[in-house]
Order: sequence, then structure tokens, then C-alpha cells
Amino acid sequence: MPDNQIRFDGLSRRFGRLAVLAGVTGEVADGEVLLVTGSNGSGKSTLLKCLAGLLAPDKGTIASREGGQSLDATERRRRVGLVAPDLAFYEELTAAENLTFFGRLRGFPPARGAELLARVGLPGDRLAGALSSGMRQRLRWCWALLHRPRLLLLDEPFQNLDAPGEAVTRELLDEHLAAGGLAVVANPSSIAVSHVATRLELGS
Amino acid sequence: MWQRASSWVAEAAAVFVKDWRCEFRTRYALNTLALFAFTTLVVISASLGPLGTSREQSFAVLPVLLWVILLFAASAGLPRGFVQEEETHTATALRLAAKPSALFAGKLLYGVTLLFALETFVAPVYCAMVSLKIQGPGLLALTLAVAGYGLAAGSTLIAAIIAQAQGRSTLFAVLAFPVLLPLLLLAVELTRNAVAGVPAGVALVQLLLYDAVVTIIGLMLFPVVWNP
Repeated sequence: MPDNQIRFDGLSRRFGRLAVLAGVTGEVADGEVLLVTGSNGSGKSTLLKCLAGLLAPDKGTIASREGGQSLDATERRRRVGLVAPDLAFYEELTAAENLTFFGRLRGFPPARGAELLARVGLPGDRLAGALSSGMRQRLRWCWALLHRPRLLLLDEPFQNLDAPGEAVTRELLDEHLAAGGLAVVANPSSIAVSHVATRLELGS
Repeated sequence: MWQRASSWVAEAAAVFVKDWRCEFRTRYALNTLALFAFTTLVVISASLGPLGTSREQSFAVLPVLLWVILLFAASAGLPRGFVQEEETHTATALRLAAKPSALFAGKLLYGVTLLFALETFVAPVYCAMVSLKIQGPGLLALTLAVAGYGLAAGSTLIAAIIAQAQGRSTLFAVLAFPVLLPLLLLAVELTRNAVAGVPAGVALVQLLLYDAVVTIIGLMLFPVVWNP
């Protein structure tokens, strides 16, 4: 059994009468990517929120292991790294202050945030509210990698990024996978991502 | 064990510092509380007239009005702590990064300090404007501290419960009534004692117990209402 793994089986989730997820199953382990595709409304973001522990599925199970230890939903929630379009930051704080704040919550020094900001080429002194959509996406990547998570959940990870931005975030993803991390990548259409072990098409 | 406690305190402190930093840059809650308090202060003092009230009226009415001002000003500003996190979608990042109980403690500390700042401004101005003579200023200060903490704790707890709901303002009023009513009755009684210069009596113990119960319930209940 791999040291790091997430496996979900028969996940279902309804919003009122609307069944967004119906019996979805999949798994991903060390150094691998699970690529989830599907049209708008097919449940990609809902699946990622369930995996992150932000939504409780109506049916089905999620089993997660990190460093050989099983994680419950609460531990999983605190350990995942998430990049998602609806992930927002404090607009009154600068990019660096945002990362310092979340770093303190996760027990990491401000230097970790500064290191990631330099890596993605984002000015730390700019207010989050004054960042362009592409810059916000870079900040989401920094936020997701701040605590060196094993599991990355990436919802449309290259959205709004320019060519240099996409290149650097792809590098970060490759480094994460090379270090034994795992990732679930959701995108409306199939995208070129290295280390894809499994593909899952929702709404089909 | 010590390390876990230290990490919990550091998380709560980080939330507290972040909230005040955001507040100093927007001054949303400070302005809302100050404007609300100023308006009600002017309305009440103008209604009572420049000569104030008789001693009997002072004893009966003025302590109540002080807490009405503090309640409404607090209701206008304190629930923002959690509601704003949901409205600006920063709640997702917080849910993933913060321990719920530490988050609650940080928000509570922010609410308490905000309310203490409001009380420091409102109480002396109110007493001066309505010519309210306080025989026991020490007891009044103690009442403002203990009841102010309870008001902030109760409001923070209710704000946490309603943050993800629709129709938040109505819900706040509905939930605030049963939660804050005992606190306000005790606060008024203690303020009357301070005005008359009589000892606090059992009301102070009851108020301290109220604070402890609301804090413990908040710390226990918050993880349930905050996470899915």
C-alpha cells in the first residue's frame, strides 16, 4: 500500500433535487495525478470540495493516507493544498501579509511565503485587492503550497495565467510530484499534465 | 501537550492580529459602532432634555438606556467578524488552515477588544450627557468589563451560527434575544447598583458564570457549525 494515497468510492452529493455527483470512484497515489474532466456543472469542483473536506458527501467513502497514516476528514482538511477559483484572500492585506497570516495558522515562518512569492514572481507588497486575476491565481498556488502538502487539489489550476505563470506553476507541480506528492487536477477539458495515472470524466 | 497549546494560542493570536490589521485599514466596524453609538447617544440625551432626569428616573431608566446603546452598537458591528469571511469567500481558506476553536478564540478576542473600545467611548460620554451620577465607579467599570465580555462572546457565537445562513440580520435578532437577554438583565441590575453605590451582590457572580458558559459553549459548538 502506498504511503500517500487518497481513494474515494461511490461518492454522491445532491444540492436539493439536483444530483451533482452520483457514485463517483477513483484513487491516486504517490507521485501521480488524477485528472478529472467534465463540462460545466458536471461536479468537478464539488468532488474536489468533498476530497478537501469542505463538503460532506451524501453517500460514499473517502480514505486518505499520508506518510503511511490514515487521516480523518478533519486532518485531511488541514493538510490538503487547494487551488480553486473561489478561493479568496484578504483584500486589505498585501500578498505577503496574507501568506504570513496563513503561515502562522499552519506553523510556518514568513520566510516560506516570501520564498514562494519570489518563485512565482509575485510582488509581495501589493494589496490582494489590487491583484489581477492572473496574479491572484499565482497567489492561490503560493497559498496551496505554503505548508508543503502531500495532496494537492487543483481546480482549473492554470486559469487566467499568462505563459510564464503557467510555466512556473507547472514546474511547481512537477516538483511536488517528484517529491512523492499526489494531485487531483480538475479541468473542463483534458489538459497536458505530467504523471497522469488515471483519468476520470464526470457527467459522462 | 505544551507545544499543542502554544500552537493553539499562536493561531488565535494570528486571527486576532489579522482582524485588527484589516479593521485599521478599512475602519468598517469602528466607524459603524461609533456612528451608531453617537446617533443613539444624541437621540437619548436630546429626548431627556438638558436638565436630565430626576434621581428616581435616573435610577430606573438611565442604566437600561446605556445597555440599549451598547447592545445596538454591538449588534451593528460584531456579527461582521464571521459574516464578512463568508461574504468575501475568505472562509474557505480559513476552514482549511485554522483550528476551529483557535479561530473562534481569535474572533472572540477581537470582538471583546472592539467592544471595550466602544464602552470606553460611550460610557463616560453617556454619563456626562444625561447627567448620570455614579456612586460606585469601580463597580460600573467592572460591570462594563464583565458584561462587555459576555456581550461580545454571545454576539460572536451567534455570528458564527448565522454566518452561513441566508437572512442573517433577522436570524441575528431572533437568536440574540434568548442568548443576550439574561446578560442584559444582569448588566442593568449591576449598573443600577453602581449608580446607587450598593454592592454588586449575586448578580456579578451570575454574570461571570454567564461569561464562562457562553465561552465554553462557543468553543465546543463552533467546530460543529463551522465545518461541514
